[in-house]
Amino acid sequence: MLSTTRRPAVVLGLGLAAIVAAAMSPVGLDGRGVPAWSWIVWLAAFVWALSLSRMAGLRLPDALRRVIWLAPVVAMFTLPAAWLAPAGTRGLVAAGLMARGLAAVSLGTGLATRLGPSGLNLGVRQLGAPQRLADVFEATLVSLTSVLRRAHAMLRAREARRPGFGAWSDIVASPAETVRGFGRLVATLLLRSLERAEAVERARRARGGEA
Amino acid sequence: MHIPDGFLSAGVAGVTWVVAGAGVASALRAERSDPQPMPAGILGAAAAFVFAAQMINVPVAPGTSGHLVGAALAAVLLGPWRGLIVMTVVLAVQALLFQDGGISAFGANVVDMGVGGVLAGYAGAAIVTRVMPTPRGAVIGGVLGAFAATLVAATLTGLWLGLSGLYPLRGILPIMLVTHTAIGLLEAALTGAILATVVRWRPDLVRGVSSQGRIANPAAVMVGVIAMALVVAGFLSPFASSLPDGLEHAAEQLGFAGRARAMPGAPFPDYVMPFIESAGLATALAGILGTLAAAAVGWLVSRSLGASGRAVHD
Repeated sequence: MLSTTRRPAVVLGLGLAAIVAAAMSPVGLDGRGVPAWSWIVWLAAFVWALSLSRMAGLRLPDALRRVIWLAPVVAMFTLPAAWLAPAGTRGLVAAGLMARGLAAVSLGTGLATRLGPSGLNLGVRQLGAPQRLADVFEATLVSLTSVLRRAHAMLRAREARRPGFGAWSDIVASPAETVRGFGRLVATLLLRSLERAEAVERARRARGGEA
Repeated sequence: MHIPDGFLSAGVAGVTWVVAGAGVASALRAERSDPQPMPAGILGAAAAFVFAAQMINVPVAPGTSGHLVGAALAAVLLGPWRGLIVMTVVLAVQALLFQDGGISAFGANVVDMGVGGVLAGYAGAAIVTRVMPTPRGAVIGGVLGAFAATLVAATLTGLWLGLSGLYPLRGILPIMLVTHTAIGLLEAALTGAILATVVRWRPDLVRGVSSQGRIANPAAVMVGVIAMALVVAGFLSPFASSLPDGLEHAAEQLGFAGRARAMPGAPFPDYVMPFIESAGLATALAGILGTLAAAAVGWLVSRSLGASGRAVHD
């Protein structure tokens, strides 16, 4: 697999450090307000995230869209916490929590876009992850596309056999049928995924690969 | 249940990263010594499957859907250590590629759904299959293990958010437990449905639990059971009834309740940690330390009985 940058470990290492820095910046939960440098850190993280996405060839609206779809998840954690903040600071705390969360996830998005799966795999190895873990990580990325495609195809086939009803009924409306259908579909996906992986492993060993 | 970046304090994030690292390191070491090695490609396919299974949403009611987490399923199919490795890789892929779960919160997510979820799920499944070493036992064990795994993971998630100062512990824990009881039932049902099909078509794929009625990974069961016990002792005990039990009520009625004396030097009199102002926290800590002390004494006793038993037969 080709990586999209010459030094994936450096980009990944710096990116992860920046994500942690953005995530740890004070957000005013202690009632002392949001320090100015926190806003600077979050803005810098956001700008770097957009530049990483642009370097990977993404247009700005597409890069922004990749961040915005995560906003509801960040909001789900943010709003209840802001509600519990000291009175008079709730608005500022909410803004700080949203900015902190979005800065960190946007930087993660930018990193993933810039490095791609091959860059991430190389970066993880070069940063010193245990070899077994890195091997399983790489194998997961290799299998992911085919497994996801197979899952989508199976869901479409199920929907085609149930015109007007979708792949599943509600569990509340039809618990036994829904759970049984889910169990069979996912079990079939498991068997196909593992059997394909076993066939690939046998072929690799037949070509002289190490056990 | 994936905690995003920006919601854990530095201390909580650091501690959970250390605990997660220790758990994954133990899993890698234990997996290396397994007599039946499994190629990385197979584990990678299993991880990709868990990822895909998590993306298949099941409608629960109009406007609401749920999905499988798969920690207990991974434990039953692969065993506790490979299950933990698979869940760690799944969480890493989700965090790095899809920002589902944060980087600073990665340690906490691994502890919740990896260490806690997988080992609690395995403990439940292994104990049931010890009693019912049949395919049906594996399915029932998986169902119970999945329910336990969900509650352990939810409790740990609430604990990290509470300790980070985001929400009060007394508020977040009951909410997490109540909501995740329903989610745990869904996880249990979906896990059981998958296992029921797998044991019918390919029973050889269920490699995590023994079909001969023995527990292959007692250390993993021990950690899983302790995790479940800590959830009950530490996080349900502060909500226990304060009404007197039968003996206390009889003592009050008959007038000899005042003659009760605490043992001199008792470390946690009346199940309360001394010097801690918060009553809930004092009870929770006493419960946690008491559970760990009971587990340690039980382990020491079983070790000495095992040694003396071997000496008799030597």
